[in-house]
Amino acid sequence: MPAPEVASRVRETLSAIKGVDLKDPRLGEVLNLASQMSDAMQAFFGGLDRTLYGELRYISAYIARTRTEIAALRPNDIKDGRIPTAGAELDAIVKHTASATHTIMEAAEAVMAADPSDPNAYQAFVSDKMMEIFEACSFQDITGQRVRKVVDTLNHIEERIHRFAEVMGVEDAEVQETEEDKRRKDLILNGPSLNGPEVAQDDIDAMFGEAGGAMDQDALDALFD
Amino acid sequence: MAVDMNAPVLVVDDYQTMIRIIRNLLKQLGFENVDDAADGREALAKMKTKKYGLVISDWNMEPMTGYELLREVRADEQLKPTPFIMVTAESKTENVIAAKKAGVNNYIVKPFNAQTLKAKIASVLGDF
Repeated sequence: MPAPEVASRVRETLSAIKGVDLKDPRLGEVLNLASQMSDAMQAFFGGLDRTLYGELRYISAYIARTRTEIAALRPNDIKDGRIPTAGAELDAIVKHTASATHTIMEAAEAVMAADPSDPNAYQAFVSDKMMEIFEACSFQDITGQRVRKVVDTLNHIEERIHRFAEVMGVEDAEVQETEEDKRRKDLILNGPSLNGPEVAQDDIDAMFGEAGGAMDQDALDALFD
Repeated sequence: MAVDMNAPVLVVDDYQTMIRIIRNLLKQLGFENVDDAADGREALAKMKTKKYGLVISDWNMEPMTGYELLREVRADEQLKPTPFIMVTAESKTENVIAAKKAGVNNYIVKPFNAQTLKAKIASVLGDF
């Protein structure tokens, strides 16, 4: 109801009250009841205000804390600095190992193809090539340092994300399987196992029925169940 | 029957270094006629234009894996009899079983040595 209409109704009611006998006990009861209702409504709306205020204050504090925690996560530093640097380190590792492998294989192939008819020349040639192989193996030191930097970066990011998830009480959401996930599953693309092959060559040989295999027929049958 | 050392061998791997290693090992074993391909699709195209006496393939390649290549080869009447050895770092039991079921002749897990490669080729083609 619009406010002017409410005011008009109140005025009309007051005029009507002026015209009645104030000593009428029924009127006194009605006024008493109205007063009680007014007090109850005031208490209700007062409580509602305090609850709402409390909720809003909690939300405000949560947003402020989230902002602080996101800032502590330093997402821009991770996105613009640490991940690109780690990516560049990995690229350098791939290039360096490829280059070293190439040098080592060149030297080995040259030795394999060398003419051994002149023993002195052959010995000098092989020695030179062996030195090239030793020099190329220095890649292990450099790539080891680069790998260390990448591992440090991953640890750093892991610590920050772990802290953020813990402080904010974040739980992992369900993720949908991507096309790449599906391809890897369908084509059984597991990649190399950590700590060596999961099934040893001897066990594979046994599956192909070769001598020296360690698996008996029952074990093989179990694999195919 | 004696092994035909002049029969062409197709080496399939997306890493040139691995192709080079296998080429060198094959050369030491007496196989000089070696072609290569960088994935299953390239290998399949080569196999449709040339008859190979042996295929040595990696598993994990893009766009076509060695496993898909194996299934394509075994599903093709012309290519079906081609001896096929998988040389891969995929060493889970499910991989070996899947390859065996798809008709692979032998399976070598990386890293491997010359002796293993020779033994597996001999078990597929016969002693040489």
